[in-house]
Parts: sequence; structure tokens; C-alpha cells
Amino acid sequence: MPAALVTTTAFRTLADNERQAKGVPDLPLLMIDHPLGGEKIEGVTARAAQAAQALVDAIAAPARPAPPPRA
Amino acid sequence: MTERPLMSETIELDDSPEAVDDYFAAHQWSDGLPVVPPTEERVRAMLAAVRRDPQESLGAMPPGWGQATVEKLAINAVMAGCRPAYFPVILAAVDAMLDPAFNLYGVQATTHPVAPLLVVSGPYVRAIDMHVGSGVLGPGNRANATIGRAMRLILLNVGAGWPGRGDMATQGSPAKYSYVIAENEAASPWEPLRVALGFAAEETAVTVFGGEGPHNVNDHVSTTATGILTNCADVMVPIGSNVGWYFSQSQLMLVLGPEHAATVAKDGLDRADVQRFCYHQARRTLGKAKLGGMYGIQDWPRWMQVIGDDATPLPLVPSPEDIFVLVAGGPGKHSVVVPNCTFSRAVTRAVDV
Repeated sequence: MPAALVTTTAFRTLADNERQAKGVPDLPLLMIDHPLGGEKIEGVTARAAQAAQALVDAIAAPARPAPPPRA
Repeated sequence: MTERPLMSETIELDDSPEAVDDYFAAHQWSDGLPVVPPTEERVRAMLAAVRRDPQESLGAMPPGWGQATVEKLAINAVMAGCRPAYFPVILAAVDAMLDPAFNLYGVQATTHPVAPLLVVSGPYVRAIDMHVGSGVLGPGNRANATIGRAMRLILLNVGAGWPGRGDMATQGSPAKYSYVIAENEAASPWEPLRVALGFAAEETAVTVFGGEGPHNVNDHVSTTATGILTNCADVMVPIGSNVGWYFSQSQLMLVLGPEHAATVAKDGLDRADVQRFCYHQARRTLGKAKLGGMYGIQDWPRWMQVIGDDATPLPLVPSPEDIFVLVAGGPGKHSVVVPNCTFSRAVTRAVDV
């Protein structure tokens, strides 16, 4: 199943660590500028539209080979 | 058991405390305070306090997913300054934290200033000289302080909950250094907490509660349960608290000082009565909720979502049993409320001693 990890920029390190820890370092990562909270609804809607297209592009990309199993 | 080989890397350093602290700090293996060097002899002494295989893992600890082996836990307990007799409490607490209901990933990685509060209840409290009296939430007692510190070192070193990387708390909390209390059974008018939670009186149990720091309840004038508990309930309801917004996992802890508890009990109330009182009295009206906090992104059950009258008082927690009540502390007219982070449920485990 196509999947991607969505995070804001402030949580990039946590997201990278989670991809590594779960053995999917190449899982597509969609970054959204931080912060998202505090935006008024018009701003959130505009950013969501951008992010939605980026998300579609990320999960529609050709699948990469699975990494070797971790020891 | 203790003669089994240890698997951790051995590092040789100068004997000076400064050299050890510099090395540990440089590798981000400490909480910023000096550590006790975890020599093989000390780690083996820690391991000898429990009947467990050093390589047994209690589980993978988020967010770094390091294996919480008994050996790694023992190393951190040594670093924290624990006596070996404290180690069974630490094992039980780690086991509780790794229960999926506790949601340790959320507790570790959230922006909220949550820390696991350990509440120890039972005869082992006296056996290891835990403090239950004046200043129970503060410094001064080796068992309380170092058990709590060991928990934090484990969360940092095994769970990789390093601030800004694995622990994304916006500001954090001093409770993240050490957050341990023990029930003051002798000063409690009610049955012990562990018994109320289904454990035997002769057992010792540790509860882990994903809590904010303590919120004080000052009441020097009330002479009735009505006064004391109305005051306690009022401290439970600020709109800036997480509690009530994410409803299904909202919980509260009420740690009554002995004098407040005695006033409440004198009016004939038992623990269940206190829980029911606070459940019904600690409510935020819909109109107040609309002023801020998490209104608009709250996670409420359907029946709460369709309420339209702004004057309706809404409950903060799903049931009276989601308010933990115990007695700890010494003389004085103070109690504390500990709100939880609302994406974690408290978990209790028996201590194997």
C-alpha cells in the first residue's frame, strides 16, 4: 500500500528516526512548514491544498526496493 | 544469574569524577547532572537484586525503540545513584510504561510537558525507606529521587527521548528530572491505593501516570468536605489543561495532604465518594470551553458534541474511576492535582519482591 510520512519541519529529526527505527528509511517524507497551529482557516486551507498535491506526488512515485532486513 | 556475561560495551576512563561526567555529557548519556560510573561491579550488584536474565528485554522503548533489557535498565539505575533494593520498583515501572495503554511514544515525543509520575503503594515503601511525608514531591530522599532519576535516564538513553529530537516538549517540566511519590498509608483514612486498584494489601504496586507537574490546592479555611473538595475540583478545570479535550483518555490524580484528607473523611466520605464528587463538580461549561484551550479540535463523544446550551457543565473525565485519589505529604493545608496528558492511561504493576 502506498504510504508517506507527513510532518512539520520542526519534527524532521523525530520523523527521520522513526523511519530508520522501523526499517523504512526511504519512506516518502512530506514536509510542511512549522508551525501549522495558529494559522487561520484560510491559511490552513491554502497550505493543505499544496500539501495534498505533494502527498499524491510522493506516494505515486515508483516504489523503491525494500531495504535488507535489519540484523 | 549474575555470573552471566554482560553485553554492554566496556569503556575505560580516568578515575576522576570530572572525566566520567565529561565523557557521559559529551555522549549525551546523562540528564545534565553528575552520574555514578556504571562499573561492572556496580551493575552486577544491581542485577543481583532481581531474579531476571540480564538480556531479557521488557520491550522496545519509543521513540528510539531501544531494547529495554534488564542489563540496560540496571546500568541507568546505577548511573542515577540507586541502591540495588530500588531496582524491582524500576523494573515494574518500566514494564507498566511499556503497556500499550500508557502510549509511551506519545508521552515521550509530545510537545506537552508530561512526565511519568510513579506512585508506589505498599509495604516495600518502608523497606526501601521511601519518603511519604513533608515535601513528598520534592528533594531529600534518596529512594524517591534516584528511582525517578533512573526512570528519566532510561527514557533518555534507552528510549532516546532527548529534548528536541525524541522529546519534543515545547518547554518541558522539572518533573522530567524525577517524579516519584509514595502513598502515606499511615495518614490515609481510606484503604491503600493498590487495594482500590485490585491488588492485595500485602503486595506493593507502582502506578505510572502520564502527568503534568503538580497543581497546588491551597485551603487553610475549610472545615468541611464541601470546602476542601470544591477547592480541589476548581483546580481541575482550567481551559489550558489537556484534560477534558481528549475525553476518552482524560484522567486526573488528586493527592490529598493528610490534613485535607482527614477533614474530608471526618464528614463521612470514602475514596469513591471523593471520586464521585470531583467527577460531578469538576466541570467546565460549554461556554467556558469555547473561550480557548483546544476548542474546535477537541475529541469529544457524540453526546457531548451535540450539546448546544452554553451553560451545560461538561465532565472532564469518562468516569469517577478516572480520578485517582490518594494521600501523601505531611502537615499543612495543601493538596495537589495532577492532570494527565490525555493520550495515555495510567497503568499499575505489582513490584516483584
